[in-house]
Amino acid sequence: MRDFLPRPTIAPAAVWTFPTPTRARLSNDIELMIFELPGQHVISAHLVLDVPLNAEGRDVEGVATICARTLDEGTLRHDGEEFAELLETEGAGFGVDLSLSGLQAVLDVPASHLHRALELFAEAVTEPSLGERDVNRHVQLRLAEIEQAQANSAQIASIAFRAAVFEESRRAARMNGGEPETVSQVTPGAVGDFHHEHFGPAGATLILAGDFADDPIALAERALGSWRNDDQRRVDAEEPAAGIRRMVLVDRPGAVQADVRLGGFGIDRLDPRWSAVSVASYAMGGAFLSRLNAILREEKGYTYGVRMNFGPLRTGGSFAVQGSFRTEVVADALAITRELIEVDQAPFASQEVDDAVAFFTGVSPLRYATADGVADQAATQVLAGLPDDYVDRSLALLRSVTPEAATEAYRSVVHPDELTLVVVGDAERLADPLRATGFPDLEVRAPDQP
Amino acid sequence: MWGMTSGALTQLGYPIVQHTLANGLRVISSPDHIAPSVAVNIWYDVGSRDEEEGRTGFAHLFEHVMFQGSANVVSGQHIALLQAAGAVVNATTWFDRTNYFETLPTGGLDLALWLEADRMGTLLDALTQENLDTQREVVKEEKRQRYDNVPYGDVMELLNALTFPPDHPYGHTTIGSMEDLDAATLEDVHAFFRRHYVPNNAVLSIAGDVEPDAAFERAETYFGHLARGTQPTKPDGGPLEPLSGPRTETSGDVPAEAVYLSWRLPARGGKDFDALDLAFSILGHGQTSRMHKQLIRRTEHAESAGASTMGLIGGNSFGFSYARARDGISPEQLEQETVELIDQLITDGPTEDELRRAKAQFERHWLHELARVDSRADALGEYATLHGDPQLINSRIADIDAIDNDDVRRAIHQWFRPEQRATLIYRQERS
Repeated sequence: MRDFLPRPTIAPAAVWTFPTPTRARLSNDIELMIFELPGQHVISAHLVLDVPLNAEGRDVEGVATICARTLDEGTLRHDGEEFAELLETEGAGFGVDLSLSGLQAVLDVPASHLHRALELFAEAVTEPSLGERDVNRHVQLRLAEIEQAQANSAQIASIAFRAAVFEESRRAARMNGGEPETVSQVTPGAVGDFHHEHFGPAGATLILAGDFADDPIALAERALGSWRNDDQRRVDAEEPAAGIRRMVLVDRPGAVQADVRLGGFGIDRLDPRWSAVSVASYAMGGAFLSRLNAILREEKGYTYGVRMNFGPLRTGGSFAVQGSFRTEVVADALAITRELIEVDQAPFASQEVDDAVAFFTGVSPLRYATADGVADQAATQVLAGLPDDYVDRSLALLRSVTPEAATEAYRSVVHPDELTLVVVGDAERLADPLRATGFPDLEVRAPDQP
Repeated sequence: MWGMTSGALTQLGYPIVQHTLANGLRVISSPDHIAPSVAVNIWYDVGSRDEEEGRTGFAHLFEHVMFQGSANVVSGQHIALLQAAGAVVNATTWFDRTNYFETLPTGGLDLALWLEADRMGTLLDALTQENLDTQREVVKEEKRQRYDNVPYGDVMELLNALTFPPDHPYGHTTIGSMEDLDAATLEDVHAFFRRHYVPNNAVLSIAGDVEPDAAFERAETYFGHLARGTQPTKPDGGPLEPLSGPRTETSGDVPAEAVYLSWRLPARGGKDFDALDLAFSILGHGQTSRMHKQLIRRTEHAESAGASTMGLIGGNSFGFSYARARDGISPEQLEQETVELIDQLITDGPTEDELRRAKAQFERHWLHELARVDSRADALGEYATLHGDPQLINSRIADIDAIDNDDVRRAIHQWFRPEQRATLIYRQERS
């Protein structure tokens, strides 16, 4: 008989707080947030523009994406290849991020190169050439990207799910980068107009995070402080609304697995139930031994992994159980899921709540230990209208969640008999079993059919 | 902390202290108190290259089995206990290694080490036929999800087979053959564990909010009693000579036709491989690469294109390029255009600007890699396991910086000529 050391206990976590930014304003009123992070030698810069995607014309949706992707294809001062070369010579990486509530231009660069890289970054955002050939190429590349997405089971499922879970007239129901029929209508003129009408200093926030070699406020002022756009038009973000419940089976003949999304319209971070729902969702489908994964993966071996995700928007949001299951077990997996997500007879237990709180609290210092981690979160907060101390506040709120509150909040959002279902898989083998499993109104359609 | 040359960081100064336990477990500590977190990372020197014929996929199957409990840990509890301590936990398998890692608040360090030691020492006490069967099903689901049910999901397998002989250590992919997994008995799995999962075949890296003395003391406490095993022998796969132009083609339900080229390169860890890494970057990484400029911007024949290396330790590495065709363009045409770009690179060599850009991009990538304690711990395990020296992470930027144009030209000429490529043409299935 061997002697084993007893399982160690966990020492209490040290107090940790999200870094506090220094705020300033550039002379054109761009809001500046500076995070001084010692030892972070790759600076992360995010310029957050208050341009919600509903600012796009309905007939040219995708124009914001094409505009953003063409920003670094050349500026009024440097043609396309020269501009990219200058930026890469500084060791800089340039990217864009588009979400429903706004768009971001992102720069990552070693601290010693920030000065020059930030000037180039500003050039791309404020005076891009948006040349005809470059715009047309990006339209074609976006169309090719959509074709790739339509060949990918998981992406088909996500696209079909958002189309069903949000009310169909809302921007949230359609891909952020636009659908084929509107992307193909995006012209160089439309892109130029979009930039001219919506890109400007009003409502913009510049976030800089890292270990700076020079005064970041002075660098920011020099790069972006003189940007003007008298024609800039501000657009309010549209509120998404819930769609009508649907049960959709997208046919992929011969597919060996099916991607599943089962969910509904959700809540945002400002909803008083947010903390309690976060805890509940972690216990149901976030942890490795969550209720869903413990049974469907670890006990049954039906899937590589199943999750329940909540996706908050600026207002409202969505949630879904999602996973990929081999064709033979999809109906059974859904029947089990349907039972597990019902918590009336199985309310959340205090151990589940404790574990969720410990997890969210414990991962924060790591998640926000780097310049890009901090800047990403700060940008998310700006776009969602959240305060600078949001992370600290939300962790404090999490700690006050009781099992009863978690159960109650979950039940108020997740109504197991009213959920929208999307399955992407072999219809011939799946349609009948799914109908028999409690989804009688199943609509079967081809992958490229809306 | 930083040595500066011409405005750029070259020699980094992350503190790295090493200690080897009596049983052969190498322990590396890299203290960093910026956040109250600590990263624990174990590299086992076993990957798919260590698998025997008829036993492919074992290294990866183990990555799953290792979470099924040990003498004092119930199945699934390894992750559950760590997540409840605020940890991010995972494991991955590759050709040259299997790594297991968790990053968590410092107060959970003892728990993490205890759990890792328990499974290193006693996994087989808990491994049952039932666990094995379930995880085999999970691995099959993983294969369906990541390879079989996605467009181009079989490219890696096809390129492996083109680039290396079938019995070569790199001749098969990490996911392995499902027939081999089905044939695996509990005894096979026990034997694989006993051969490879021994303290003297592992590197434990502890990076973050703990001082070296405390890290080593804890390593001794939790791992010190584990018995040293027989040192596994490493497979001998080479080095093999460059390829001489094998071709194959396949078809599938893919949205665009594509061409993939691959090369046998020298093993990682020498100037030739690093020089080739820069050459592949110049050919196909980023917007200023020759492939992007030519195939995407100028001719507009490709919807995406790129090239990169995959560094391996066992005699040879891989190098790849790929291009997906726009409508009306054949993959053969993209192949020809890529070959012309390589020919130009051979004739003219990279420009000084191109070389500078490739180095600058490497510098950002590397600084980024070391910025977090979790990826830093992984880099320490990587350089200790594959090159015997974790201190190399501090000199990577200087090493890359020291490569000159002649080094790159020489390495391209020896390893990266068009006639040394393997070609895979991927066509659309016409039904």
